[in-house]
Amino acid sequence: MQIELALFAKLSARYPVGGSGREPRPLEVEDGVTVGALVERIGLADEQRITFVNGRHAADDLRLAAGDRLAIFPPIAGG
Amino acid sequence: MPAESSGQPQACPLDQAGVRARLADASVGIIGLGGLGSNIAMMLVRSGVRRLVLADFDRVEPSNLARQLYFPDQLGSLKTDALAETLMRIEPGAELTLIPERIDAGDIARVFGAVDVLLEAVDTAEDKAMIVETASDQLPDTPLVWVAGLAGCATANAIETQRVGDASWLVGDLEADVRDGLPLLASRVMVAAAHEAHIAIRILLGMPEA
Repeated sequence: MQIELALFAKLSARYPVGGSGREPRPLEVEDGVTVGALVERIGLADEQRITFVNGRHAADDLRLAAGDRLAIFPPIAGG
Repeated sequence: MPAESSGQPQACPLDQAGVRARLADASVGIIGLGGLGSNIAMMLVRSGVRRLVLADFDRVEPSNLARQLYFPDQLGSLKTDALAETLMRIEPGAELTLIPERIDAGDIARVFGAVDVLLEAVDTAEDKAMIVETASDQLPDTPLVWVAGLAGCATANAIETQRVGDASWLVGDLEADVRDGLPLLASRVMVAAAHEAHIAIRILLGMPEA
């Protein structure tokens, strides 16, 4: 199945497939993959991150569905 | 998702008095009363917001005076008390709920469950992540504005507001992190604060999109 992956800020250097620049891009994944499994595959398991699926915060055990938009942000200090 | 357009100015649905009347009925929560939160509160009160829930456990220190809305005679005071004193000078009719505590995941729904918009204004990445995740889970319909990237000397034009979720707006340049040794300049911090205050006002006026 295909999802859309959006990696923000410095995490955009970790896109696993082709595409241009920092733009979100489609990603082929197996049916029912969890957020956590996909994050580990991308190599972000040890990164501080805020993870949204379809515009809402998502836990790592959420199973993705075709067409979902997975967005991952690095929290950036300063305030 | 795209940043807000900087193209043609939109018409405002209300005049000055109408804006103030609409904002007077709103309640806004702010977590963190440092460079972001203290200046956001000032801008919201000047704009007509009268009901604020203000949370910070810290006290005013000399280094805060470089960019936060405090004064030398307030050194050592709780930031909640010091900021309330200043806000009441600006708007004596303000209704302020002061929470002089460190906010953790167990507090957010209890303390901020009744606000119309919640603003994250803390400094550490850990606290930002906790607030965004907890507020998104526990108050999914409450608009949340959070910040990523305001430090350093780069152009202030890199700081922008983008909608990143159903009820989630992100302000910042998405790059500049104080953990990289970047300074915090009053000018750039206040640009981010103004972005947070302004999107909060736009949400309250019913115009949250670009």
